[in-house]
Amino acid sequence: MTNTWKLTTIRLYFNINHSNMFKNQDGDMVEKDTETIIGPSVKVEGDFHGEGSIVVEGQVTGTLKTNQDLRIGTNAKIKADLEAENVFISGEVVGDLYVKGKTELKSTAKVTGNIKTKIISIEAGASLNGNCVCDQNATIEIKEETQKSKTRNGKNDKSDIL
Amino acid sequence: MYYYLYDSFLSDKKYAQTIAKIENRLIDLGINGKVEKMSVLKSVKEVVDDNIKNGADTIIAVGSDKTFTKIFPAVANQSGVTFGYIPMENSNIAKMLGIPVAEKACDVLSARIIEKIDIGKVNDQYFLSTLEVPEASNVSLECNGGHFNISSISKSDHIQICNLSYAPIDTERHKNVCNPKDGYLEAVFTPKEKSAFGKDKLATKKQSVFPIRKMKIVSDDIVSLVADGETIVKTPATVEVLGKRLNIIVGKERKF
Repeated sequence: MTNTWKLTTIRLYFNINHSNMFKNQDGDMVEKDTETIIGPSVKVEGDFHGEGSIVVEGQVTGTLKTNQDLRIGTNAKIKADLEAENVFISGEVVGDLYVKGKTELKSTAKVTGNIKTKIISIEAGASLNGNCVCDQNATIEIKEETQKSKTRNGKNDKSDIL
Repeated sequence: MYYYLYDSFLSDKKYAQTIAKIENRLIDLGINGKVEKMSVLKSVKEVVDDNIKNGADTIIAVGSDKTFTKIFPAVANQSGVTFGYIPMENSNIAKMLGIPVAEKACDVLSARIIEKIDIGKVNDQYFLSTLEVPEASNVSLECNGGHFNISSISKSDHIQICNLSYAPIDTERHKNVCNPKDGYLEAVFTPKEKSAFGKDKLATKKQSVFPIRKMKIVSDDIVSLVADGETIVKTPATVEVLGKRLNIIVGKERKF
């Protein structure tokens, strides 16, 4: 009995801590460990595909895609279509967004473009100039041009960056 | 079979006592083997290849980080061969690998904790820790076959391509940066800012980090890149990671 109680306590402890890995005390979503950081001194041009989470504080032109979280910092300037699991925007974005999960526009966000997402949260002060399709039950379809960029020259485009 | 390759500077009398302690310790641990000194008459690659043909399966560099960077490419070209290191002085590479100095390194060799780590390749040269791009105004990285370019906005960032780096990277912010077992190289852009005394210093908190497998470094003018603080390579340069290419003996205190 004692061993069973200990095992149950350990399981409970693990579950509580596991669920806290992705939520802070206010219950807000917290990003996982960052893989790629585009800092304020750097400019990226072209089709940027990654698999890890991405933080952008610099300039991006073209397309920006990841299968994890994407955070756009306050001083970031993006002229690109974005695709990610979850997106948190504090800066300036000119382009369309395709978000499989949650989109958060902070008070300093300025988005010019269309958004397709499952869940959206817009803080007071954020600017959105475009259409927004928000459906919790929808499967977000990626536009054809983004899908076509996966295959180039008739071959599968294996990304060199995660 | 162990094969020890000593750097030529160890012929100096001031190292005699330390060398004697090392050799005695190796005998005590039962890992002594053939000893050879590097010389200008024979290339490191030839020496390493000859000894591997004669049955050596563990090559140990004895000397400094310069010795290490001269020898490891010859070992990386061979399969089934393990590389080790006995540093004669405090060494950045040794610190990253968890290897203490002089005779204490022998115990690490004896424990034989082996890791398979990535190495970098720039054109036809190998590097283990870092490829430095000196301040160059028109350097950019072409990644993913040219699908995207990375460049510095101010044209003055300090650029490093890291595999096992000991250079100042804000590791508080970037967990697992420069892990030599992750199959990636990290392209790190660090902007410069003026300190209170007017000198340039690196703004590590504004760094950019890109994990990349392959890239091309291009520039308007020909720029010299420095691999592991020693080897000079000119642009344009193709840089790629060779995943888990080097079997290396490491210590418990390693940084990865």
